[in-house]
Amino acid sequence: MAVTRPHPRYLVVWAWLLALMAAGLAASAAPRARGLAVAVIFGTAVAKALLIGLNFMHLRFEGPLIVAIATVPVLFAVVLTAALFPDFVFGP
Amino acid sequence: MAMRAGAHGVAGATAGLEAGKLGIWWFLASEIMLFGGLIASYVVFRLGGEGWAAEAAHLNTTIGIVNTLILLSSSLTVVQAFAAAERGETRATTVFLGLTVLGGLLFLGLKAVEYAGELGHGFTPASGLFWSFYYLMTGLHALHVLTGVVINLILLAGRRWRTPHRVELGGLYWHFVDVVWVFLFPLLYLA
Repeated sequence: MAVTRPHPRYLVVWAWLLALMAAGLAASAAPRARGLAVAVIFGTAVAKALLIGLNFMHLRFEGPLIVAIATVPVLFAVVLTAALFPDFVFGP
Repeated sequence: MAMRAGAHGVAGATAGLEAGKLGIWWFLASEIMLFGGLIASYVVFRLGGEGWAAEAAHLNTTIGIVNTLILLSSSLTVVQAFAAAERGETRATTVFLGLTVLGGLLFLGLKAVEYAGELGHGFTPASGLFWSFYYLMTGLHALHVLTGVVINLILLAGRRWRTPHRVELGGLYWHFVDVVWVFLFPLLYLA
């Protein structure tokens, strides 16, 4: 039988997701400070992914193995991106 | 009764975990690498190239925003379906799963409208690197949404074997599809 788990306040999480989406959209419409806008756009995207992962996917209630299975590939993807950076920074 | 990895003699860290949950998370890990690799390639090419923002300006941001709202909301409905299933509320589970399917179909319908507009303006996968990435990443994502819709339809159709455990597994897949879009939307439409 499946284990019953605690359920966070999903409506509150959803409201936060919409607020973060609105913040990202507002940043994208900003005419100046493009670097800051891009940071806000992707900062809010990361925050949304964390909210979904921790609350809707219940990662905050999972054990270390499931958390590791979920996070290690993300780290690999980040390392892959970082490792490719020299290709265009130092490229011809 | 949900099968447990520990019951089959898998020692150590997996003991006590439901085998289905372990399986879906391993699958999602491989999916993270698939989309992670695509996104990494996109970021590197975009940072190293010129004119990508001008190409991205041709995308229909309004449809992108509406589709983001739909997917975020469908994540809410699918997790509500799981909570209702755990409480034994069959009718609420059916309603929330139905709303999730509706959200997925709406997303796919709007994506089809968007594709039709872009193709009508001559933007095909062969129109340049941006458009190749755009159609590949959003097309692959749309296929995942379609798969999620089918999974939820199967759960809707089979009331006898619609256990909370299976609703949770279907939901985990759906949330992953949502998370992928959370990154695709700003990468393609906003940045």
